[in-house]
Amino acid sequence: MSKFIYLTATPEALIASMLPPAEFGAYLSTGTKKRNKGQAIFFEVDLGKIEKLIDMDGLNKRCVAKADGKPKSSVYLSVYKTLEMIPLPALKSLYLTTDNGYTLELKKETYDTSKEVLGKLHLFQELCPVTPLVASELTPSAFMKKLTDGSIPIVLPKLFFVDLKLGELATNPLNGSVEHLPYSNVGHLRDCLEILKGEYEKHMKTVQRVYSGSLLYRTIETGFYVGSKDEIYYYHYPSLTELENINYEFFRSI
Amino acid sequence: MVSLPGATPFEVVAIWTVLVIAFFGLAYALFLRRQVMACDKGTEKMQDVWDGIRLGANAYLKRQLRTIVPLIFVFTVILFLSVYVVPPTEESKLRFVGYSDESLKLVIGFGRAVAFIMGAVFSLLVGQFGMRMAVQANVRVASASRRSFGEALKIAYRAGTVTGMLTDGLGLLGGTMIFIIFGVASPDTLLGFGFGGTLLALFMRVGGGIYTKAADVGADLVGKVEAGLPEDDERNAAVIADLVGDNVGDCAGMAADIFESYEVTIVSTLILGVVLFTQTHQLSWIIFPLLVRGIGVLSSIIGTYLVKGNKNDKTNNALKSINKGFYSSAAISIVAFGILSYFYLHDWRSFLSVVVGIVLAIVLDEITKHFTDGTFHPVKDIAKNAKTGSATLLLKGLSYGFEVAVWQTLVIALTIFASVMIYYGQPVVYVLYGVAMTGIGMLTLTGNNVAMDAFGPIADNANGIGELSHLDKDARKIMDSLDATGNTTKAITKGVAIGSAVIAAVALFGSFITDVSKVQIQLGFEKSAQLIETGIRINVPIIFIGFLIGGTIPWLFSSLTINAVTRAAAQIVEEVRRQFRIPGIIERTVKPDYQRAVDICTVSAQRELVPLALIAVVSPILIGALLGVEALGGFLAGVILSGQLLAVFMASAGGAWDNAKKTIEDGLYGGKGSDAHHAAVVGDTVGDPLKDTAGPALNPMIKVINLVSLLAAPVIIAYQKPGHASLGMFITGVFCLAIIIGAITFSKRGGFKKEVFEQ
Repeated sequence: MSKFIYLTATPEALIASMLPPAEFGAYLSTGTKKRNKGQAIFFEVDLGKIEKLIDMDGLNKRCVAKADGKPKSSVYLSVYKTLEMIPLPALKSLYLTTDNGYTLELKKETYDTSKEVLGKLHLFQELCPVTPLVASELTPSAFMKKLTDGSIPIVLPKLFFVDLKLGELATNPLNGSVEHLPYSNVGHLRDCLEILKGEYEKHMKTVQRVYSGSLLYRTIETGFYVGSKDEIYYYHYPSLTELENINYEFFRSI
Repeated sequence: MVSLPGATPFEVVAIWTVLVIAFFGLAYALFLRRQVMACDKGTEKMQDVWDGIRLGANAYLKRQLRTIVPLIFVFTVILFLSVYVVPPTEESKLRFVGYSDESLKLVIGFGRAVAFIMGAVFSLLVGQFGMRMAVQANVRVASASRRSFGEALKIAYRAGTVTGMLTDGLGLLGGTMIFIIFGVASPDTLLGFGFGGTLLALFMRVGGGIYTKAADVGADLVGKVEAGLPEDDERNAAVIADLVGDNVGDCAGMAADIFESYEVTIVSTLILGVVLFTQTHQLSWIIFPLLVRGIGVLSSIIGTYLVKGNKNDKTNNALKSINKGFYSSAAISIVAFGILSYFYLHDWRSFLSVVVGIVLAIVLDEITKHFTDGTFHPVKDIAKNAKTGSATLLLKGLSYGFEVAVWQTLVIALTIFASVMIYYGQPVVYVLYGVAMTGIGMLTLTGNNVAMDAFGPIADNANGIGELSHLDKDARKIMDSLDATGNTTKAITKGVAIGSAVIAAVALFGSFITDVSKVQIQLGFEKSAQLIETGIRINVPIIFIGFLIGGTIPWLFSSLTINAVTRAAAQIVEEVRRQFRIPGIIERTVKPDYQRAVDICTVSAQRELVPLALIAVVSPILIGALLGVEALGGFLAGVILSGQLLAVFMASAGGAWDNAKKTIEDGLYGGKGSDAHHAAVVGDTVGDPLKDTAGPALNPMIKVINLVSLLAAPVIIAYQKPGHASLGMFITGVFCLAIIIGAITFSKRGGFKKEVFEQ
């Protein structure tokens, strides 16, 4: 049986498993003896590219099939500063699992900054290593750079975040319709966005300090971003129409 | 055998033709059944899942029979003996000339008892056979969905049509046979037929409603909300009970409900027809409604056979095809009624009443659709209110639920007014006949309506089998689409069922007034004291008290049924939680004990039947015995008004909350998992027992009360003449009151034993 290495985003952990991605996702979200439930977001990590970073002997000893022949579900390798430790090229596909246990694979792409639209407001949910919900007038690449290049006092070595839908608020925070936006406390969101549109220079504003632990997949605007400074990798999230054809079970359960 | 004094050769041929059509309808049902049964049942895994549903369904049906059969026996004896309390009518003496009084009593008593058994057995057959057909079809639909949309649609709809044609065929067969044998004396026995069908429908509606929602709410609360499992997850111990429940509620319960409306409208029309026949000596008052029903069966056969999808089509719209069949049947019926009226009746009034009925069915459909379908403003508005939480969502749903009850009641009032206009200047019995004919018209397309309703649980179960047996994406898409269509068709037929129940009840109310007056004439009451002359004088305090108490009965009934669902659901919740703790169930290495949840639902549902049925049967006797027959008329009016408003309110509000949740699940306001969705789930959970248990149970309840009143009225008149206090009636009243108090206590506690309640 093969071994897989996964980097889960919330909570941050490096886990070895004998389960392939879809089964590992289902295991994390529903299939444990503890009756855990909740969605999971995780990367598959290229073991060949991190061999020198982890205790391979320990891994080979611990990540083995159980006495009854069943595959080992999880062996925790690290739970602290994990994203920081993993080189970005070692990250393979990103997997999103619903709390029903259905998993969607998103392929890794190199991010093309030339396609970014300027002048729009954004809502970024940071997922790792910190997890605030942040409104910003910066594009995803500029946001990544701003938080990881050391130009401001708050600096992160690497960042993983997702771009969320703002609808009409992206251009008209004060009067734009919030008809289909599911965010609680929309008044506060409008205030935050309005500040970014204000006269004095402010690029980011925290909307919510604590992540609920559950991402509404339907609210994803473009996709997920992981990187540091100018090195950005992108995981495109398909439109609902595309999603219906790509992964029907996942589509039904979001 | 046939006794039709003054019948023309055409009328004699016509009545036999109607009987042949009834058999033809049944033969068509068998033909479709054979077609469905010839289809394959899919893979071993699919059949394994299906087997659980089949066994659960069989267990429920068997247990239901055990509860119901003794009651059928008791009521058969009562109906047989009733003829010794109230002598046969003058019409019976006319029909059976030369019979001694004792022989006549024996014939009518026997006829009434057999008719009761026939009504009960037919109702039972429609429910039980229809449900078994649905269970047989669901796995075949799931299997066909792996090949094509058209094939899956055809199997699901045709299996539903089997139930529809059984309803049509048996309803027509019973009424026609009784009329052929008893002729003008048929009202004496038709009441037994109607009562049998209605009482069984009450059992099946109440039992089905409690079962289906206990399973549904229990499965969802633990499986989906607590454990985060998907819908129809094999690890949920209540999943099979939930799937069985869809059949029990929406197939067996609904089919029996519509069957009894179908039956009761023909019963009340024939009773009023016989009254008009004795006044005008025109047999057409009786023959025309039977012919209309016959034409309805034929047009339903043609319309339902037209429903099919393209075999190679994977994305066809099922609703379009089903609607095509429905409107084809409606058009064929109207043209045929017109031809019949022109050449046979030479009078357009009955034709107009029937057409008003068909239009009423369509208008009620549209009103229901407007307030409960996710594509219209009200449901979108309710969904929008989910953004501010469950409280505002509930309030908005309540608001629309109240509103739709107003519109539907006004439409029914308008329909009755149409009868007044059609028979303008004629005595009241003509207007009541017009209302009864409206009911006949409304249920002309019963074959199509029941097919549409039964289609719902078949598609739903097929989807469940698909989920549990992990069918591929294309098959799942087809089943999802059929399931969504089934939800819409179920909601639409609920509107028709409630509307037809009210029209049937109004027709029965008319029969009550004419029947009571007939008995009063027989007993030598002065003309000024006869009900047909006095009417129901609501300004008289005693009668107003009857009216008020009548208005409370649907509320009491709803309170008890919702209480029963809550209690049974709590038991299911505990059972599913207990099974989740068993090592291996969550890991899928151990199979849950599905049968245990099925048993809990079955036992809970059956336990509630008797007290609720007793309340429906005994309450009119109580009022009649203590307050008199006119107050009983007021009581009936109260039951009809309050029952209609409450039934429409509950069905519509529940349907609207359900679809508001579905709208959000389709992506509105963040989709599943959003705060709006959580609020919508609360609305749906509250609405579920309203729309699927309490609301639907009111339809047969209203008619049981009406029929018992019709049966009991002659006794009450005979023993409680105006100005004469009767000790016997007082004791009867007190006895009835004791029964009702006992039934309420039993129902509220879930039994007389305290430990049962605590469980």
